[in-house]
Amino acid sequence: MKVSYKWLNDFVDLSDISVEVLAEKLTNSGFEVEEVIYQNRFLHDVYVGKITKIEKHPNADKLVVCQVDLKDRKVQIITSATNVFEGALVPVSLEGADLANGVKIKPTAMRGVSSDGMFCSGEELGIDENYIEGAGINGILILPKDFEVGQKIEDALMLNDVTFDINVTPNRPDCNSVVGIAREICAMFDKKFKNADISYKTVGGNVKDYVSVEVLTKNCPRYMASYIKNIKLERSPLWIRSRLNAVGIKPINNMVDITNYVLVEQGQPMHAFDYKYLDGHKIVVRQANENENIAVLNGNTYNLDKSVMVISDKDKPVVIAGVIGGTNSCINNDTKETVFECAVFDLKSVRLTAKKFGLRTDSSARYEKGVNINSPSTALKRALHLVCQLGCGEIVDGIIDIVNSDVTLEKSETLSLSYSRVCKILGVDIPKERVLKILNGLDIKSTIEGDVLRCVPPYIREDIKNENDIAEEVIRIYGYDVYNDVEGVAFENSATTIGQYEPRLVMENNFKNVLVDSGFYETLNYSLYSASACDKLLIPEGDERRKVIKIANPISEDLSTARTVMAHALLLDITYNLSVGNKDLRLFEIGKVYLPKSLPLTELPVENNRLSIAVCENGFDFFKLKGIVENILVLTSLEYKIERSSEPYLHSGVSADIIAKDGKKIGSFGKLHKLVLKNYDISQDVYYAELDCDYLVQLPEKKYETKEVSKYQAVERDIAVVVDEKVTNAELMSATKSSCGKIFYDVQLFDVYRNEALGENKKSMAYKITFMSDEKTLTGDEINVAVNKVLKSLEFRYGAKLR
Amino acid sequence: MKEKLQEIQNKGVKEISSATDLKVLDEIRVKYLGKAGELTQILRGMKDVPPEERRVVGILANSVREKMEIALSEKLAELENAKLLADMEKEKIDITEPSTGIKRGALHPLTRFNNKFIDLCVEMGFTVIQTPEIETDYYNFEALNVPKNHPARDMQDSLYITDSILMRTHTSPAQVHAMETLKPPFKIVCPGRVYRNDDDSSHSPIFNQFEALVIDENVSLKDFMIMVKEMAVRLYGKDVKMRVRPAFFPFTEPSIEIDATCQMCQGKGCSLCKGTGFSEFFGGGIVNPRILEMSGVDSKKYSGFAFGPGIDRSVMVTNKIPNIKYLFRNDMRFLKQMR
Repeated sequence: MKVSYKWLNDFVDLSDISVEVLAEKLTNSGFEVEEVIYQNRFLHDVYVGKITKIEKHPNADKLVVCQVDLKDRKVQIITSATNVFEGALVPVSLEGADLANGVKIKPTAMRGVSSDGMFCSGEELGIDENYIEGAGINGILILPKDFEVGQKIEDALMLNDVTFDINVTPNRPDCNSVVGIAREICAMFDKKFKNADISYKTVGGNVKDYVSVEVLTKNCPRYMASYIKNIKLERSPLWIRSRLNAVGIKPINNMVDITNYVLVEQGQPMHAFDYKYLDGHKIVVRQANENENIAVLNGNTYNLDKSVMVISDKDKPVVIAGVIGGTNSCINNDTKETVFECAVFDLKSVRLTAKKFGLRTDSSARYEKGVNINSPSTALKRALHLVCQLGCGEIVDGIIDIVNSDVTLEKSETLSLSYSRVCKILGVDIPKERVLKILNGLDIKSTIEGDVLRCVPPYIREDIKNENDIAEEVIRIYGYDVYNDVEGVAFENSATTIGQYEPRLVMENNFKNVLVDSGFYETLNYSLYSASACDKLLIPEGDERRKVIKIANPISEDLSTARTVMAHALLLDITYNLSVGNKDLRLFEIGKVYLPKSLPLTELPVENNRLSIAVCENGFDFFKLKGIVENILVLTSLEYKIERSSEPYLHSGVSADIIAKDGKKIGSFGKLHKLVLKNYDISQDVYYAELDCDYLVQLPEKKYETKEVSKYQAVERDIAVVVDEKVTNAELMSATKSSCGKIFYDVQLFDVYRNEALGENKKSMAYKITFMSDEKTLTGDEINVAVNKVLKSLEFRYGAKLR
Repeated sequence: MKEKLQEIQNKGVKEISSATDLKVLDEIRVKYLGKAGELTQILRGMKDVPPEERRVVGILANSVREKMEIALSEKLAELENAKLLADMEKEKIDITEPSTGIKRGALHPLTRFNNKFIDLCVEMGFTVIQTPEIETDYYNFEALNVPKNHPARDMQDSLYITDSILMRTHTSPAQVHAMETLKPPFKIVCPGRVYRNDDDSSHSPIFNQFEALVIDENVSLKDFMIMVKEMAVRLYGKDVKMRVRPAFFPFTEPSIEIDATCQMCQGKGCSLCKGTGFSEFFGGGIVNPRILEMSGVDSKKYSGFAFGPGIDRSVMVTNKIPNIKYLFRNDMRFLKQMR
């Protein structure tokens, strides 16, 4: 929202407040000034000069030498421009000038004749034809004859204002206007607000004899209109153009400029119709019919539907309500009578329409933020005042005012609040007198009796309802800087609370530490992915993970689906890293998968936290991965077994599922399926593991209970047996353990050996068995007996032969 | 006899002291103290010594043996030590060769920051909670005083799944969950992912926030400021400066934005802080009593404050990460810098 210093000065005396001080105060009071723009930034050292004499340049055919009167001095300027003439007033830039097009002026000599500076075109001054006649031509700007010779050009052209670009927060729609900001400044600097002049003269008649208004939609709570005849359509006076230019609005003609002027000053959008094009002299506010069309002022034609509110005449839409006017009824060169519209439209309706057509206008921007139902009456009168002031039309008596809402106009509520609570919210004791001064300065009529703070906010301040709202008003004017160097103890008058970690985050951090110590890097991936992830991972139809939650309005296909599988993201990370030449990848992520209970979603899905690990590294193998998984699981109290995995994306022969005692699958690990690797363009083996963190965190905390260690020495024996390939280590270990009896202590596989001599599909498995007794030193005989039992058992169960 | 013993002693000790290796030393030991050694021979010949001299000679002989044994063992230790030192000299290596074994990996910078911030919060009495990422429109907007017609509720800004279920756009729903389920007084903090319909060079559609909420009797904006200051000091060091600006959030009133010394330039002014020396730290404020009431907290008795730092930016500043997209790209060349 842009406002200008001079415009503000109409409503609050700024004579003792500098631009810099004002900008800082606004920012510190909740109206962040994002930019301060000096309108004269390209105009210093440029003056109004009168050309007194033009002579041919002695050495150049295309140049002329001009003598120029600057009132207090005479200068000589050489120009190649052809539109200059003796007696013309022109902008003269002298040494030091730094023009809008980047040209810096210094005295020079051209073909032996000196030139003190340069005449300027409109472009060089940063203005165009809309601002002043002659500024758009390809030549020197010829200034109006009544300009004062020798005057600074910024003063002559009224380009001496300063613009503030202010970020107005959504709770203060009333401040999207010059008057709104001016009222705030009054409170900040303890100044008196100067009301806008809204007086005007009428010429009799009755507006109702000229135009009728009908409101047929609830999206228009208020519609006001007035009728003006005998219009003298022309350029606005320079002061109006200057104001509009300062806030970035293009001046067009006096009638349109007045509506824009009121828009900026009062925050109330308006529209001016050419009366003769309103068929039936009728204004109807309604929702558009399906397939109605309207050609609008930006040159486009839009196809409308029921969601769009329009202003129409007897038959056709003439305005997209609150957004943009149609070309069929706008002010044009032969407009003689006009109807001014000053209305309130529903903010959501305007926003959705503006968005639908990608049209954001000054008008729609105001409506989207909310225009108060009380706003049109002052605004319309202000516009009529300007018509009188400019003498550009005759106002017919009467204003049409249709209120299509239950809201009572100009009604202010009295709030009965607690003064001490306001101070308590702030934690700062602000004296009563100060509180009253601040609030009354903000036009919130306030009194304090004892602790009762009575406040009557102006009816445009719909945001003020309770002590918190009042506390904010008080502190932002009092100054937030009281908190900048705040010291002391927090929560002095409050309870002590004991902080607690979240168990899952703690557990996950422990897992992360194991992985980091094992050379892994933590990654973060988007939890939304492409719908093709399940295909790439070979997840079969019917698998639960195929039931995915889709985003209704995704940013892109790649972010269209809430993930149900973790592996996709890490595989993409591996593909990416390999593509940029990174090798030896050990990656992990802890993230969520989103599992719907039903589709389409009627209740919130299960958000399952999972650890996912991927390794792409030379020399890595299944058993290294298994070790890492074991090192993680050993931190938990999980009792589990492993089975051949059924994960579709894992290599069926080199992968395992982790099964808890209750039969639930807690995770899987193994080598990636070769087709999956192909789908991700990975030409090396990848090992992958995944664990269900939510299952693991609900397990009882792992208990560490110890037993006495034996006083007697352990004895080790090695055995090696030859078995069929299909016999597993787990089977041999388990049989060994059970056949040793009480003196069994430990068994470890220490070698696996394959050789043709062993026979086809045979392998040799070598174990170190440790025996120990809590009661005595074991004798050689006892151990021999045990070893023999083991061998017999292995032979009996698995056909194992001692090697 | 005595002279002979004295001579053996002198000669032996001299030989021992001049021995240069263990083998020679052992030969010397055998020569004097071995089975056929010179001293052993003399001791064996004691029976030929007249009885009246035997005692004196015996004492002398033992003393000689003792001296020689001491000299031998001292020399032995000396030579052994010398050998160890010589061995060590041979083991000398090039210490600049690279280390072996598994090199530690690294946590993601975001996790590091999260952990640091969570530790800080827990120390200050906050309990860490987690609430869903897929939320109802009630928790994400309605209960937080974001009205139906607020632009944030348009499809344009948020990722919707159905009309009433969406990817949460902030961690603030955690406030509502906490107020509904916990009995005041309490302090909670909820770290988590949030989602917006926004993806360009400076925005990530998924980013991270913290939500913190304190509900108690007599909680003021001043308490909030003192606490935030303490957090800034612990995160950024004691020289950190703070600046408070008014702000607007639908769920707090008054609302403030707190800036802290820009960590990119340490307050000197840089492109990130647009030369101000300050960058955004926290936004928050006093919980709007309307929100307390909506979630069943007695707003006459309790007040509170809520705040939420966007952490991706803090992580970027703390780690001088040049582009927000690095946080999700998982490039090893980036991640390795976090070791």
